[in-house]
Amino acid sequence: MKMNLQKIAMGLVLSIALVACTKDEETIVVPVTAITVKDLPADTVTGLGADGRPQYAGSVTYFSLVDNKIVASSDVASTKWDVAFSSTKILINGGTSGPGIGGAFVYVGLFDALKTIPSDSTFAIDNSNAAKFAIPQTSAGWYIYNGLTNIVTPAAGRVLVIRTATGKFAKIEILNYYKGGVTPDATASNSDKLTKQRYYTFRYAYQPNGSKNF
Amino acid sequence: MKKTPCLLIFLTLLQSGILSAQSRFVKDTLDASGDSVVVTATRTERKLSNITVPLTIINAKTIQQNGSLRLTDILKEQTGINLTSGFGAGIQLQGLNPDYTIILINGEPLVGRTAGVLDLNRIALGNIKKIEIVKGPSSSLYGSEAMAGVINIITDATMGAPLTVGIRYGTYNTVDANLETKLNTKNFQYQGFINSYHTDGYSIRPNSNSRVRTPIQRYSTTQQIKWDLSSKTNFVLNTRFTNEQIQNEIAVANNGVTIYSIGKENIKDLNVSASVNHRFSKNLKTSLRTYTTTYDAIQNLLTINGLPYRDVLNHNFKRIENQTDWDLNKKMQAVFGVGAVWEGVKSSRYDSEKLRKQNDIQYAFTQWEWKPSEKLTLIGGVRFDQNTQFASAYSPKLSLLYKLNPQHQFRFSIGQGFKAPDFRQLFLDFTNAAAGSYSVFGAAQAQQVIARLDALGQIGNLFPNYNLLKALKPEYSNGMHFTWDWKINPSSALSVQLFRNDIKNLIESQQVGTYISGAQIFSYLNIGRAFTTGFEFEGQHRFNANWSLSGGYQFLRTGDKDQIASIKSGTVYTKNNQGYSRLMKLNEYVGLPNTSSHKLQVKLNYNSPKGYYLNVRAIYRSRWAVNNNNGNQVFDNGDVFASGYVAINSAAGKSFKNGISIQGGIDNISNYIDAANLPNLPGRTFYTSIKYQLQKNK
Repeated sequence: MKMNLQKIAMGLVLSIALVACTKDEETIVVPVTAITVKDLPADTVTGLGADGRPQYAGSVTYFSLVDNKIVASSDVASTKWDVAFSSTKILINGGTSGPGIGGAFVYVGLFDALKTIPSDSTFAIDNSNAAKFAIPQTSAGWYIYNGLTNIVTPAAGRVLVIRTATGKFAKIEILNYYKGGVTPDATASNSDKLTKQRYYTFRYAYQPNGSKNF
Repeated sequence: MKKTPCLLIFLTLLQSGILSAQSRFVKDTLDASGDSVVVTATRTERKLSNITVPLTIINAKTIQQNGSLRLTDILKEQTGINLTSGFGAGIQLQGLNPDYTIILINGEPLVGRTAGVLDLNRIALGNIKKIEIVKGPSSSLYGSEAMAGVINIITDATMGAPLTVGIRYGTYNTVDANLETKLNTKNFQYQGFINSYHTDGYSIRPNSNSRVRTPIQRYSTTQQIKWDLSSKTNFVLNTRFTNEQIQNEIAVANNGVTIYSIGKENIKDLNVSASVNHRFSKNLKTSLRTYTTTYDAIQNLLTINGLPYRDVLNHNFKRIENQTDWDLNKKMQAVFGVGAVWEGVKSSRYDSEKLRKQNDIQYAFTQWEWKPSEKLTLIGGVRFDQNTQFASAYSPKLSLLYKLNPQHQFRFSIGQGFKAPDFRQLFLDFTNAAAGSYSVFGAAQAQQVIARLDALGQIGNLFPNYNLLKALKPEYSNGMHFTWDWKINPSSALSVQLFRNDIKNLIESQQVGTYISGAQIFSYLNIGRAFTTGFEFEGQHRFNANWSLSGGYQFLRTGDKDQIASIKSGTVYTKNNQGYSRLMKLNEYVGLPNTSSHKLQVKLNYNSPKGYYLNVRAIYRSRWAVNNNNGNQVFDNGDVFASGYVAINSAAGKSFKNGISIQGGIDNISNYIDAANLPNLPGRTFYTSIKYQLQKNK
């Protein structure tokens, strides 16, 4: 199965490259390079209450995959951003979350091995309920929450396939949820875990030419 | 089936005490010097040297000298047994979870499992004669739950002093007091036992106001009457009652939010068994035995910021059984049994705590023992269990013993064990309001409940496996055990055992759909396949009349067969240090959670003729996986492990001629603590005890 997919993927890449060459001699297929984003804050803790409870502002961090930068929250109603982060919730610019035509789905497999988005893929859009987001905020999404240690770990073998606000394609692998890209020990103090969490480290590849190939 | 059961036998453990006189002294398995009579392996009295299956005996002296108070204390020092810590202290036997070992008291099963676990701290050891442990599927004699093995706790009114009082005091204000009386006449024996156990509990989690071990006040009492109605007939009555009060302050942290609560728990456990045993002739005897038990647990949780929580469980179990033992000739002996069980549970976790969920079982078994020569014994048996709530089960077993010579003997057994779906798996109706409102519905009614919710428009998606929900099948295990016993010389013995258990139809919870809100809905399906395999060594060496060394080691491999297949097919991922996903390799797979590859225990023992004794026991358990960390649902080196550890316990004492004996001990000398994974292991604890036994007039 896996071999078949690989073969198909390679075949597709090859045929597209051929098509590209014959159709338009000036277009050169440049393989997209993966970019790693470190410590993107996603509604981080603003302080600890007297009872030890964490306090949050409830903020959302909007991010442009096109420009590899954070977009001001005043631009929420624009197509300047592609994905947004708030605690373990990841939004796409589409559906109930934004005015764009964004969508996403969770691909089970390896980041590097995903050379072409399968043609039969269905992109979901955000619905008002976080559990029904394009990237669900549940165990079917991108992370595993350990109720005993309160630690969030990105699930292995999950690639977030994104359709951007303007209809281009990208793929994301979340690498870590803690500051500095280091998950605290299970035995670390609660305050340590709380102050370090909600910092995303992820790598992504963005294909500007509108194709589904990476 | 419905007719009055004819006479049966039950050959009980109790009988063994009656029929052979007080002169017998129970030896530990490893004590090569004697030959004990055991009952658990065949449900008939057999000499230990003639047993065809792996069997361990722990005698009263070992329990007493080790300073063991509760059943868990002594079991954790046995080869191939590890304690588990969710829902009370259960035991894992040869890698199989607590659900799969049946716990008997004088041959009758204990009930009251929470999530499959019987809390073995419930059982006081003050008055017991011995514990017998049979490893390997034993459903051919004992029915459901006897998949990994059988643990039988045996009391005996016929031995010991007429009056014993003892008290022990230890760390955490732990007080254990015993009073035992015995009355022995020619035809009548009575044993009464009262135990009071109190502990303040302890908190080994730093900065926590909740106690890992809760403050407990527990009373238990057992009474045993044996009455010889004639030289051929006797009557045995056993009762046991335990009442346990727990109060605890609990702090539950969820995503940094701590909820403080006060929990109160009351558990009452009553067991009554009565039997009539009759010997028609030297070759034929029968027993009619009745048993009833109820387990009542009420839990109330008052939270400072949230809704109160109340949890009620009432489990009752009634059984009537007849067993007949027939010795056809010197080479052939047969056992026949029939019985019926009525079992019911009421719980707040089901749709209504007032409605009793009921399961009735009828069963029959037979066992044939053939001894073609002095060297060879063959035993074959089969049991059939018919249930009202789920599919019926056949449990065959074959075993043999071959005595090559006085030094070497070999035992081989192969059998099928089963575990019936429990009431939770059939009837649970649970919605967690705190954590995302997910629901779990028992398989027996999941389709009905979900269809009803669907009609109300509450169901979002139903997964394909929703259509697979149907009557659950029992979980099955095929077990093979091979044992080689080697008496090296009069002071040394070694035993080597290979084992393998293949389990199918494992009942696991699986998501079957979602609510319209996206919250998950779970139920139970027969999906899993797993194995446990490994080997064990047990050995003993006596240096001289006073000093001896004994020990045991288990190597264990476990695995989920479906997960192994997924890894082989290249669909399981793991993460590297940078967080990049990659394919998982088969050699990274560590098997089932909570299983350790190595367990070792060593005991150095000193006993002097003047009544002094000293023992030092070291127990090592290697790391075990506790949590999946990378979302692949498969346990590999990247997941969360509890560290391996060593616990060292020691006890010393002296018995005086006037009946007084004293003891002092230290448990966990090196003060090893792992609050998250070993809540049942407090730090270093000390205790001291004094006991007085009224001496019999000779």
